[in-house]
Amino acid sequence: MNIKFHQIPQWLIGLFGSALIIGLVTVVLKLFATGLQIQLIALLYLLPVLICTLFWGLTSGILAGLLSFLAFNFYFIPPYLTLAVHQSQDVITLIVFLIVAVVVSQLIGQARQAERLARKREWEATRMYELISALAGLTDTQSIIQTLAQKIIDTFGFDQVEIIANEQVNEKPVSYRLSKFVPQEGPCELALSMFTTRTTEGEIRLWFDQNTLSLEETRLLAAFSSQGAMAIERVHLMQRENIARVLEESDRVKTSLLNSVSHELRTPLAAIKASASSLRSGAVDWDTDARRELIATIDEETDSLNLLVGNLLDMSRIEAGALKPMKRWNSIQEIIKGVEVKMQTQLAQHPIEYQIPPDYPLVPTDYVLMGQVFTNLFSNSVKYAPPDSPIVVSAGVSDGNALIKVINQSPAVPEEHLEHIFDKFHRVTQADKITGTGLGLSICKGIIEAHGGKIWAENQPEGFSFNMLLPLTLDGELPKIPKDAIDG
Amino acid sequence: MDKDPLILLIDDEPQILRALKTILSAGHFQVISAINGEQGIALAASQSPDVIILDLSLPDMDGIQVCEQIREWSTVPIIVLSVRDSEKDKVAALDKGADDYLTKPFSIDELMARIRVALRHSAQSIGNKETVITAGALSIDLARHIATLNGEELKLTATEFKLLSYLAAHADRVLTHQAILTHVWGFEESDHIEYLRVFIGQLRKKIESDPDNPQVLITDPGVGYRFKTGY
Repeated sequence: MNIKFHQIPQWLIGLFGSALIIGLVTVVLKLFATGLQIQLIALLYLLPVLICTLFWGLTSGILAGLLSFLAFNFYFIPPYLTLAVHQSQDVITLIVFLIVAVVVSQLIGQARQAERLARKREWEATRMYELISALAGLTDTQSIIQTLAQKIIDTFGFDQVEIIANEQVNEKPVSYRLSKFVPQEGPCELALSMFTTRTTEGEIRLWFDQNTLSLEETRLLAAFSSQGAMAIERVHLMQRENIARVLEESDRVKTSLLNSVSHELRTPLAAIKASASSLRSGAVDWDTDARRELIATIDEETDSLNLLVGNLLDMSRIEAGALKPMKRWNSIQEIIKGVEVKMQTQLAQHPIEYQIPPDYPLVPTDYVLMGQVFTNLFSNSVKYAPPDSPIVVSAGVSDGNALIKVINQSPAVPEEHLEHIFDKFHRVTQADKITGTGLGLSICKGIIEAHGGKIWAENQPEGFSFNMLLPLTLDGELPKIPKDAIDG
Repeated sequence: MDKDPLILLIDDEPQILRALKTILSAGHFQVISAINGEQGIALAASQSPDVIILDLSLPDMDGIQVCEQIREWSTVPIIVLSVRDSEKDKVAALDKGADDYLTKPFSIDELMARIRVALRHSAQSIGNKETVITAGALSIDLARHIATLNGEELKLTATEFKLLSYLAAHADRVLTHQAILTHVWGFEESDHIEYLRVFIGQLRKKIESDPDNPQVLITDPGVGYRFKTGY
């Protein structure tokens, strides 16, 4: 039941229709019912009056009543073909007929109008309900204005709707334009502000053909606009709350990062400064073990500074969502071997034992980032595992994913800490006992997740295991192995 | 050589320039330096250095661009300096004609080795090319298409030999994945890094004494491979 704009008005159809029907009835009665009593003819004339009222409402009904009164008088009451009436009996018949016709059509017309109004209200309520439920789940301005524009076109049948929604301060407003058939150029016919009790959230612009909107349309449109405004306001409030929460969180993170980083940076710097200045002062003889020791210290401490800076960089990228692994087909064993060679000094007391099958598949990974993951896992293992205990690296396939484990012999971690050890700055032991920023494992998590994988920790009967799951496909495909790779 | 080789340093960090100048001068090189790309290109043209060491992040222009411009008229070896996480830049610089790269922070041993390799390669491209390349017990005769390990001929497939000889012909220099794939398998296959992983793995099994701890076919993470002679 759409409201139509491009048709002849209902009331005009009603008037012509009534005149036509009364004319037809008169002709029929004149042809077939001349012998009947005039009271019966009067009754028969009431029928078209009822029909007209039912079809076209009160005005048409009354018109039909008047017309049938005239026709009845003119054709069926003697003297015929005049409006004059001779017998008083006929005068009474005529007057009663007129009263009955008018009263009946009025009663029916009112009932009909009330019903129409009720239906219209019901229809409006349904549209509102549909709009509200469509807007309820939306959490961004763009989809709200799209939904609103679609509902406005569906409900009112306008030619074109454009909705402009204000965004946060310093951001461009978003707009959406929807046309029923062809896009319209030129200025809009009507612009409505979308406002809530607090703010103006935007504007609705409308293009349509007729000159004005009906009262009901205006009212419904205002209700639509205010629902839209409320939905947009809700999104804006949510966004503001999120920003505040993120700022608060990042503030907290920055503070603990600065605390832990400045401590961590100073440790290797202090060692380097001490070694370099004592070499420079000439207090240490050339060609002594002490001198070699100092130089080795400088060399090793710069490496640990470099790892720390790399971790900080990765952390800030993970935080900013800017860590994009360059996934290529890589051999996990090769990546780990590379790390082992680089970490020779730190791993002196912790030999790496490989449990990787020789035909283990290539895994799509970022070589450098995965290197960082294993560097952090090994460096964590070295901190907690007892001296002279091996670190086992195993690789298998589980449900089409690579399952890689780094198992060390460090003491079990209480179950309640297990899922938190990958959180930033989370420490199971007291901070002063173990060095490190508390960033390493959270970086591992960030990198593995950026690869579309998963990392978790579990206690083993004899030690502690970091487990990783990584997809074995790249863009949904397995590696292409060349035909001539069959090794004889 | 009768005269110490001339090295041009292009880097805007005074600390790096100071350290490298001191170390290289002590290593019997002559050193000149530029603090931006424009100055570097001008010095490269007027002084004809034997090796250029180029930092990829310069204040006035992209280091890759500097590389490209110098390559328009000179074949002087260029070694680029870059930081971790910029593998794309390294590969781009190598594609634009750089000969090698070093990731900051690097050790002086690595830098000296790179400079020696660069000088040797530019000397070779002027004089006769070596046709027999050796790395430890491994020897590859490029002219006769024979590879031997401890004097015994290795059984290599055609593709394996093509790959090995391409790497050996550019001994001690990094070759990008793309360059190797294009040379060995052709341009259409140059995206299939997995080919390389498989074939390098096979070659390592045949030529390395410990394939899991390679000494000859070295991986350059995120960039490519390098045939190391131990030079």
